[in-house]
Amino acid sequence: MDFISHDEKTIVEMLRIINISEVDDLFQDIPKDLIINSLDISNGMSEPDVMDKMREYGSKNKIYPHSFLGAGCYYHYIPSLVDFVISRSEFYTSYTPYQAEASQGYLQAIYEYQSVISRLTEMEVANASMYDGSTSLAEAAIMASIITGKNKVILMEGVHPEYIDVVKTYCWGQNIELKITSEDKLNDTLTEDIAAVMFQSPNFFGDITDVLVLSKEVKDKHPKCLLIQCMTDPTCLGLLKPPGKTDVDIFVAEGQSFGISPSFGGPGLGIFTAKKKYLRKIPGRLVGKTKEVNGDREGFLLTLQAREQHIRREKASSNICTNQALCSLSALIYLVSLGKTGLREIATQNFQKAHYVKKAIASIPGYRILNTKPTYNEFIVKCPNINGLIQECKRVNILPPLQVSTYYPEMLDVALVCVTELNSRDSIEKFIEAAKLAITNKEESAN
Amino acid sequence: MDVNDLLIFNKGNELAQQNFVPKLDIEPEKIEEILPKNLIRGELRIPDISEVEIVRHYVKLSKINYGVDSGIYPLGSCTMKYNPKINEIVARMTSFSHLHPLQDENEGALEILYEISKLLGEITGMDGFTLQPSAGAHGELVGLLIIKKFFETRGIVKNKIIVPDSAHGTNPASAKMAGFSIIELKSNEHGEVPLDHLEYAMKQGDVAGIMLTNPNTLGVFDRQIKDITKIVHDNGGLCYYDGANLNPMLGICRPKDMGFDIVHLNLHKTFSTPHGGGGPGSGPVGVSNELIPFLPIPCIVSTNKGIVCNYENHESIGRIKAFWGNFGIVLRAFVYILSLGGNGLKRVGQIAVLNANYLKTLLKKKYNLPYDRICQHEFVLSDKYLPNDITTEDVAKRILDYGFYAPTIYFPLVVNGALMIEPTETESKYSLDKFVDVMNQIYDEAKNEPYKLKNAPSNTPIGRLDAVNAARKPILHD
Repeated sequence: MDFISHDEKTIVEMLRIINISEVDDLFQDIPKDLIINSLDISNGMSEPDVMDKMREYGSKNKIYPHSFLGAGCYYHYIPSLVDFVISRSEFYTSYTPYQAEASQGYLQAIYEYQSVISRLTEMEVANASMYDGSTSLAEAAIMASIITGKNKVILMEGVHPEYIDVVKTYCWGQNIELKITSEDKLNDTLTEDIAAVMFQSPNFFGDITDVLVLSKEVKDKHPKCLLIQCMTDPTCLGLLKPPGKTDVDIFVAEGQSFGISPSFGGPGLGIFTAKKKYLRKIPGRLVGKTKEVNGDREGFLLTLQAREQHIRREKASSNICTNQALCSLSALIYLVSLGKTGLREIATQNFQKAHYVKKAIASIPGYRILNTKPTYNEFIVKCPNINGLIQECKRVNILPPLQVSTYYPEMLDVALVCVTELNSRDSIEKFIEAAKLAITNKEESAN
Repeated sequence: MDVNDLLIFNKGNELAQQNFVPKLDIEPEKIEEILPKNLIRGELRIPDISEVEIVRHYVKLSKINYGVDSGIYPLGSCTMKYNPKINEIVARMTSFSHLHPLQDENEGALEILYEISKLLGEITGMDGFTLQPSAGAHGELVGLLIIKKFFETRGIVKNKIIVPDSAHGTNPASAKMAGFSIIELKSNEHGEVPLDHLEYAMKQGDVAGIMLTNPNTLGVFDRQIKDITKIVHDNGGLCYYDGANLNPMLGICRPKDMGFDIVHLNLHKTFSTPHGGGGPGSGPVGVSNELIPFLPIPCIVSTNKGIVCNYENHESIGRIKAFWGNFGIVLRAFVYILSLGGNGLKRVGQIAVLNANYLKTLLKKKYNLPYDRICQHEFVLSDKYLPNDITTEDVAKRILDYGFYAPTIYFPLVVNGALMIEPTETESKYSLDKFVDVMNQIYDEAKNEPYKLKNAPSNTPIGRLDAVNAARKPILHD
């Protein structure tokens, strides 16, 4: 199956017009000793055979009907129309809308995406998307360094550990010094040569920061230091005060929660927003609204391209070219499908249900909630028998919460529990039961 | 006409019912009692809109958008080939789409990542791959960070990279993100790298290597490729292959054999995953044995315990993206490679080049072709000899009037008023002939009725837009 239309007769006819005798002549510029005979790859397969094979691979992945796992990738309900719209092949088989007049549909959709993200975050400018949350945060660090002309940034503990690693890699590339610090040591670390303070809220462990307090602390000390917030599940913005209301300079998030399936962690969506005064330093594409040259009709086009690599080459604000356009379309459809009523309701349910589970778990002797601040849909709990909890969860078909020791080996018995609107009361009861059984099992094995 | 009325935000209906939230089945508490008031959001300016309105709105928008499924999409260096529908069906199988990146019991996914790494290795000749990068430019950054780390661990300072003037704009931008400064190398009259200039540049001592696209952006295979990579190696540098233009090389020849140490591929170009309106893509990076220790983490390796991930690659550049890369895209490319097989991939390379040369032969009768020789996947026309002050942009806009998409324009910079055309192997002869007819007709119009080009497009939902004002007073949201 090769998706090529030509039969042999057509190929001969085309070769005649090109005025060469055989296909091999097309490769006359390639040194002979570089030409290979064939690839050591099995022959192509028919569609039904490929489907069989892929089902076989799929059967080796276990999909659970219930989940208490989040940690940067979340199960939320995806309205059916999201996939319907992004499956319109006029959208998904197009490319970056260089020819605006033949791409008005997508350009308008991206403009609407930028608008809906601005409305949700209350930030003044949103770009057309980045790869994911982690690379958005890394690019934000670089952007802050460009804006301030300083090459040191502070990263607060509690940022997703994989994001920290990505920021480290990017900063090393640009010779930006990265300091990781805790909240109580921030004041000492925050010196004049710092370009930005980066934090996550709700953070990896679930804690919600009072951002107004933090931004005041940072800006009072160094008015020119940028405050950068990141977020891994922005559904919380249906309930929590948005970054635009708390003096955040750059806000980034992983947008997977907005209508994008987990797909083993990618593709997701990098949401990137900033204050308007930083507009010309923003990485990535921007769609703008304008008028016809010779007319009054309004339309949409890629704008401020002088920031971008294809114009500025090595002077560009970032090298990003292809972004996650189709995922931003998913997010747009998701957000307008839910609307303000749905977004508030989703956020409230995540909060209420997680709170319910948190209370229930805390009431089981032996379990201890470690969060000291309010939480949204995730929290950390010290478990008397974490391996038992994980086994019990699996036994009742629940995808267990994250063992925090995966990232922080010293946090041995700690689980990061995630509860979303999709966790039914039934699954919650099963989870609580599993938590209780884990203790019983431990006692039994001890006896 | 004011488009504001046509935006989704104006289709709100306060009475819309919310269908996408399950019924709350636990007893809620008073929010104010469990969440401090100063953390709670006030207004949220996203209207409630009914499902019917939303679907109609976006179906309407889709109708004024052009994709590969609409017709030929001859955008040079973008490889706009047909996106097989089976890829989409497989990517949506629950066993893949619902898989959490941090769960175990994921053997199917890990096996796929392992297998496709091997397949890409066979296709390019490279010894090890990372599937982490999200797009071509991301892959470039990874490749350059590997070069940086390679020299850093050896205690050698090399902070410059050679990039020919025909390179994609991402090359110099990526090099800068990895902390390199750029030495631009001017192509010679054949569109190739001048060996004497290359040697001179390499002799400067602090040059880490070269980033090269081959076939280059003129669609030309550099006949001296082995000399180029040898000169770079002899002077202690590494060779980076920009795989954006790998399509014509499939089953024909391999970057590793040309002498390259690092390669990035664009799965959304060569391996048929949809371009999505500008992503999500995937930009795997392949390296030679010597550079495997520098690959980003996590790496997928085969052990006696089966296929596992390795988080401690010896001299790794670190992590460059959360989780596993764009798995959903890698999955589609895997399905494509299975469908085509080794024989099918070779046919792709052959027919991609056949189609480009066929189109070039027919178009050069009326249009100027500055580099007139056998091309690979693409070729570049110029605005030279266009009558009546007609520009490349005029031609491009007129193509839209005929219901086709335009080629890449004004790139590569080495050709004045470039029209860069890449038909790909999936265009039929019928489709190519139609495109030639339109291009010929446009040329005749340029001669006899130039206003039709100057006023183009006139047959699209909107006319030419004012880019200058758009940049001067940006309106980026409603």
